[in-house]
Amino acid sequence: MATAVVARPVARPQARARDEEVLVWPDLVFVEFIAAMVFTITLFLLAFLVNAPLLDQANADVTPNPSKAPWYLLNLQELLLHMNAAMAGVIIPTIWLGILAAFPYFDRETEGQGKWFGTERSVRITSVSAIVGIVGTWVLILWDSGKGAYLLNKWFGFSGGDKLRFLENMRAIQSQLPWPEWSRKITYLPFNLKILSSDAPGGPTQFQHLDFPGWLVEQGIPIAALVGLPALLIYSLWKMGWVLTRRDALLALFSGFVGAYGILTLVGTAFRGPGQELVFPWQLNVSEGIPGEE
Amino acid sequence: MAVESPTKPTFADKLYDKMFHNYVWKSIFRTGYPNTPRNQMLVVATNVFLHLHPTRIHRTHVKITHTYCLGGLSFFMFLGLTVTGILLMFYYVPSVDRAYLDIQNIQTNVQFGQLMRNMHRWMAHAMVILVFLHMMRVFYTGAYKPPREFNWVVGVILLVLTFLLSFTGYLLPWDQLAFWAITVGTNIAGSAPVLGPKSRFWLLGGLQVGPDALIRFYTLHVIGLPLLAAIFMAIHFWRIRRDGGLARPL
Repeated sequence: MATAVVARPVARPQARARDEEVLVWPDLVFVEFIAAMVFTITLFLLAFLVNAPLLDQANADVTPNPSKAPWYLLNLQELLLHMNAAMAGVIIPTIWLGILAAFPYFDRETEGQGKWFGTERSVRITSVSAIVGIVGTWVLILWDSGKGAYLLNKWFGFSGGDKLRFLENMRAIQSQLPWPEWSRKITYLPFNLKILSSDAPGGPTQFQHLDFPGWLVEQGIPIAALVGLPALLIYSLWKMGWVLTRRDALLALFSGFVGAYGILTLVGTAFRGPGQELVFPWQLNVSEGIPGEE
Repeated sequence: MAVESPTKPTFADKLYDKMFHNYVWKSIFRTGYPNTPRNQMLVVATNVFLHLHPTRIHRTHVKITHTYCLGGLSFFMFLGLTVTGILLMFYYVPSVDRAYLDIQNIQTNVQFGQLMRNMHRWMAHAMVILVFLHMMRVFYTGAYKPPREFNWVVGVILLVLTFLLSFTGYLLPWDQLAFWAITVGTNIAGSAPVLGPKSRFWLLGGLQVGPDALIRFYTLHVIGLPLLAAIFMAIHFWRIRRDGGLARPL
């Protein structure tokens, strides 16, 4: 009778044959014990050999240059250099976590679970997407930091001259193109809506006027890139006949994300020197309160 | 026809019998030594810690390359962090006047203090990495698929909680590294539209990182977030069992 009222899961694995089973004690408990021991010993050794950093006492008057968030947030701090702060720091990560959580509701096929990669072309899709994520992110960072134009000139003697200067980096699109004056102050709300304003209450509200070139550079192009590039990747893989199922599309999306996320973290951690300038890791000299110099 | 007479019990046999077959021992451990399949199953089923596991599992699931133990190790890091964290709490007072000096004191005057602090820090980093790798493992083995959809969502929540646990702990040494990292981090949170400045103020207990921020981060770090994480971990582990253990090809 009880089965009549208990909601059944969407898919229930069939009962398995006894000869496919092993006992948890000792077969699994043993593996867990070894894993725990390996980690305990490794971490003890690490803790013996490397001290946790401790710099000078906190001082609100002495700002280290660069000031960096904890390493696992440096991907967001890196994004912050390229677009609107609210977008990079809050909106994009929140939306991405939402997308991540929604994965199983998008791909509802039960097939291919419990197996590494699972579908026919999954290894190919994963490696290509990860490489696209890694290389693409690097290229975009190099371009937006202005290093792309600099290196093109230095290595190949290529210079776009004044005409192409607006392609040097994102900001140049705002500053080097002849935007008409009206486009920098488009009224989109004829009254002040305080809730949209991040200014202190009482001050003049700028929010209801849109600086179109500024908006384009800070939000328009980044949104287009963040939505468009993954979509383009999945579309191309679909056209190539690699992506056939929703699982394949998720593989491309997730692998591209892991690649990009890894590079953003790496660049933020090891390639950003004073003034958040893009430098090589061995040129990372920080003034005052240097992480890891203790 | 010779009849086999039973061998006389040796001294070791008698000692073993006295130690493990007495009234007190059996009141604690009801099962015998796990050297028979029956006892091996009973020991898992009747032990509160081991009964997280079923008594039998599919043979592919003990293969190390199937999971690399990443989820279990994340939990193990959580336990290790709790132990080292409690030891650090004995010596640490979350006030602006004392925090930094207490850390120095832990490192120089407390027996094994430096070691405990190092362990706590490296385990925290390890946990962030392990949780992320665990998520990758679950994704690439398609283990989020039905009927495990909701457990994947719980996993995403646990990922966020792990980041928050690490982030709130980052401020506690009250050195330049901590102070400015949290300043940058909370500025990122504060840039959110509409809710940003309010949530930053709520997190810091003021407009900038100061004494109120320290006590808030400390409270969240040592009780608020671990409690929340423990609840979601309980759900996570419970759902693994309810959804039929680890995912495997249907």
